[in-house]
Amino acid sequence: MTSLVRAELQRFFATRIWLIALAAAVVCGFGLAGLVAVIGPENSQPPLPPLGTPEGVSVLLGLVQITLFVPATLGTFAVTSEYRHGTIGTTFLQVPQRGRVMAAKFLAHAIIGAAYGIVLALGAGLAIVLGSALGPGTLGVPAADLVSSLVRLAAAAAIHTLIGVAIGALVRNQVAGIAVTLGWFYLLEPVVMIIPGVNLVYGILPGGAAAALTRSTWLSQVIAEQTAGPTALVLAPWAGGLLLLGYAVAAAAVSVAVPLRRDLA
Amino acid sequence: MTTLTIAGLTKRYGPVTAVDGLGLVARPGRVTGFLGPNGAGKSTTLRMTLGLVRPDAGSATFDGVRYADLSQPTRTVGAVLDLAAPHPAMTARRHLAIAAQLGGHSAARVPHVLTAVDLMAAADRRVGTYSTGMRQRLALATALLGDPEVLVLDEPTNGLDPAGIRWLRDLVRARAAAGGTVLISSHQLSEVQQYVDDVVVVSRGRDVWSGPLTELGGAGDLEDAFLTLTGGLA
Repeated sequence: MTSLVRAELQRFFATRIWLIALAAAVVCGFGLAGLVAVIGPENSQPPLPPLGTPEGVSVLLGLVQITLFVPATLGTFAVTSEYRHGTIGTTFLQVPQRGRVMAAKFLAHAIIGAAYGIVLALGAGLAIVLGSALGPGTLGVPAADLVSSLVRLAAAAAIHTLIGVAIGALVRNQVAGIAVTLGWFYLLEPVVMIIPGVNLVYGILPGGAAAALTRSTWLSQVIAEQTAGPTALVLAPWAGGLLLLGYAVAAAAVSVAVPLRRDLA
Repeated sequence: MTTLTIAGLTKRYGPVTAVDGLGLVARPGRVTGFLGPNGAGKSTTLRMTLGLVRPDAGSATFDGVRYADLSQPTRTVGAVLDLAAPHPAMTARRHLAIAAQLGGHSAARVPHVLTAVDLMAAADRRVGTYSTGMRQRLALATALLGDPEVLVLDEPTNGLDPAGIRWLRDLVRARAAAGGTVLISSHQLSEVQQYVDDVVVVSRGRDVWSGPLTELGGAGDLEDAFLTLTGGLA
């Protein structure tokens, strides 16, 4: 299994996708959080809580958390590329045990997703610390709390990558796979968040669970309250983490089981 | 010395039976031509033989073992299929290195097969810039990574120029002369008749004739015999 995982990692670094992923992690982490920190959340329209408060830190983490559709899309792109270019045939000829191939793909993308998450979280953390130092002069939360939130953000990014992998394994067609992933994380979940009544379920969707896990729910709560009333379900961080882990396990089952019996065509 | 045996292989796609109880034997030391018109079921048969498509009935085995059950399949069988392509954004060297890693082959096999197919000079170019013939050579290099006893080649001369076709012919003959088993599909009889020993003719998913090439045409014209068997000649 180690050599299969190594082969999947080699595959990731054999094209420019790793550079795109790295750039995306920097832009979504340091770039986005840094931009808001430089502008000052309180100067936005409508004004957001300033950086020197717990809510201000939560806002920045919430904005970064919204970009988790990016690692999910990367996961989908990586798997569907195999089908798009026909390289999956070469892979299954070398290793006919498809379950092993998909398990290796899943493990490799757990590593890739974690690496993406670390770059994302480090960038966001750096932007928050620098923004706080240059702006209000104080960090809105204890440093240990910030580190804890950033670790959770990295974990959420890894799990989103794996969910993307599962969608890719399920859909196979690249355009359709990316449309499903983007549609779900970028359109459907935010829409669910703002529809009265329906927004109750947002908390148990991957986005809501990730927001709970990373303690970046302030933004989603305010959006929900202003649009759909104060009914959005917010899980405890541990429950959000557990639920997100459940999504990862389900994604693993889908990724490994679905391609087993399908014909290549 | 490995014998490929296909027996009663069947594949249906809805109401269409693409392969209908097909059987053949490809023996060591022989080049077996798998001949039939376009749409006769050749590619589907080879995909089932290599575990990429699930048969509805029948079996394909290498000395009695299914491809998926071989301990190191690409050390026994090397295949060229249109479903097994390289990524266009990768270099040939990277593509082969990943395939070698997946198949459990030594990294030293990569330069060896690149040299064998005469692609070393282009090894670090992206595959997307390759001509069709170069891609076919790379597909063969991938098939040769495990130095397999059996070669299963689906229309391997597609896109090859005359020099490439001769090179392939020499390669295939050399593998058979060394005791290897070669099954090669084609719809171009005039081309493969130069290097196949045995022939299996397939039409509408069924094997309609099999035996030594010399017996296919009998005393008459080979092409006429083939067209008559496959329904291409009224």
